Amino acid sequence: MTGDSAEIPDFSNLTCTNLMIRLKILIKKAGPDAFVECIVRRDQRDTIDVPFSHSGYDVKIRKMDSNRYRVSLKKKVQGQKP
Amino acid sequence: MTSHFFLLGSPLTQERLSWIEESLKFFFVKLNPENLLHNSKPKDTIFSFFLTGDALYSLQNPQTLPVWEIILSMPSVEIICDCNELELRGISIERLKMKIPDQVIDRNSLALNGQPSFWKDVMKLARQHEQPVPSTVGYLQMESPYMHQSAHAALLFLAAGVEAHASVDLYAYLDGVHLGHIGQNPSECENIGKGLEEVNERAQKKGLSCQMIACGRCAAARGYSTWDDGHGVVISTCSIKPFKIRNLKEIINQFERNHIILAKDSASIQFKKDGQSSSSSPNENGKKSPITILVTRRPYGTEKAFGAISFAVACAYEGIQTRVIFIEDGVYALMGEHKLEKGTHFFNLQEVVDAVAGSENLQFFAFQPSLNRRGITKNRKLNAVLDIGSHELGQLLFYPPNGVTANHQRVFFF
Repeated sequence: MTGDSAEIPDFSNLTCTNLMIRLKILIKKAGPDAFVECIVRRDQRDTIDVPFSHSGYDVKIRKMDSNRYRVSLKKKVQGQKP
Repeated sequence: MTSHFFLLGSPLTQERLSWIEESLKFFFVKLNPENLLHNSKPKDTIFSFFLTGDALYSLQNPQTLPVWEIILSMPSVEIICDCNELELRGISIERLKMKIPDQVIDRNSLALNGQPSFWKDVMKLARQHEQPVPSTVGYLQMESPYMHQSAHAALLFLAAGVEAHASVDLYAYLDGVHLGHIGQNPSECENIGKGLEEVNERAQKKGLSCQMIACGRCAAARGYSTWDDGHGVVISTCSIKPFKIRNLKEIINQFERNHIILAKDSASIQFKKDGQSSSSSPNENGKKSPITILVTRRPYGTEKAFGAISFAVACAYEGIQTRVIFIEDGVYALMGEHKLEKGTHFFNLQEVVDAVAGSENLQFFAFQPSLNRRGITKNRKLNAVLDIGSHELGQLLFYPPNGVTANHQRVFFF
């Protein structure tokens, strides 16, 4: 699910719980080596950052404008250093 | 003192009552066999069943009555009926009362207005669970007013709480958000919106807290527009003043506290204080009361099943140990392989379960007898959903999850 931002799903209208559910579904579908990317709001970024980082995911966040962030997630392979 | 209690308001099927019966048998045989000895009958009630609304028909129905008789043959079980609702429905419980006179109660305590109040009895029990007496009681409402009598029950519960000098919380989820719609004007029923405003006023006069929080996702879907006032406060002109439309997280934050929270169909299960099942060292999350969510409805006909899972995910995310049990018609969510048209703005429930099943604090279970009864099997790909029988259901209800030191568990039927 990589590419330019035009192809990246915009999840900024989702609630935090449903965003979490959507991302977990996408990560599961994407497989172990693929990144999942999406566009989120500022408050959603906080919802994603800490919990996913703490539960075995590589999380990369890039600010696009004042309230839009591009998030990349990938499941860490076991034994892999952060 | 009562240890465990059920508040039941929906029609009680033989299936539901039977698994409740099996769970009670597990409790007495495996956990408290001493209570089964004739010479050591416990002095206090161990299980109380509060029945209101359509659940009362089960006391007369020939399919459910024999199950009640078995349940009442167990030591220290009592049924407290909502006497007004019994009279309204013309239900006779004489046969049961003749057989087991002391365990079926059809008279309620008198409220301050001199009228019998079932909800005063509920409140007495809800408030004796903690010592000192807890300062707050909460109610989770998921149905709309007027179409569903449960909205009136929610109002009576809150009013009884304030009368008993408890602070009260109302958590409005799914269609429950309609309780707070502004401008309600029913001609034939009690005005729920006005009733809630009055409860809020009475609470304030007594110096008690009264919170009414509605889920933002559910409210937005139903057309309750909100906006930020520029200072981070979300406001809406669609709702009555005490009603606050907030992120579901804010409702779950209230669930992190230890007070009793009931719903139309719910239970509160007390854990033994000897710490028999808690092997890990307690942490902050361990102090939060765990939640068991029973998914009892078919997956797609209503929002109930998805609402249950979404609620469970939110609870687990906030550090609450959460178990989701697919039971009764809820097991249809696990049958076959669900396929969703590409691009549909909706969730495939199996995909959701599969994706979130490995999350911290969240476990999924399938009640095998419900699958068997319907002649269906679980989709083998859903291996994160563990099969359980009556014995394991009893364990889930009466043993705290590892690391939990909270004194009770909340059970909600979705």
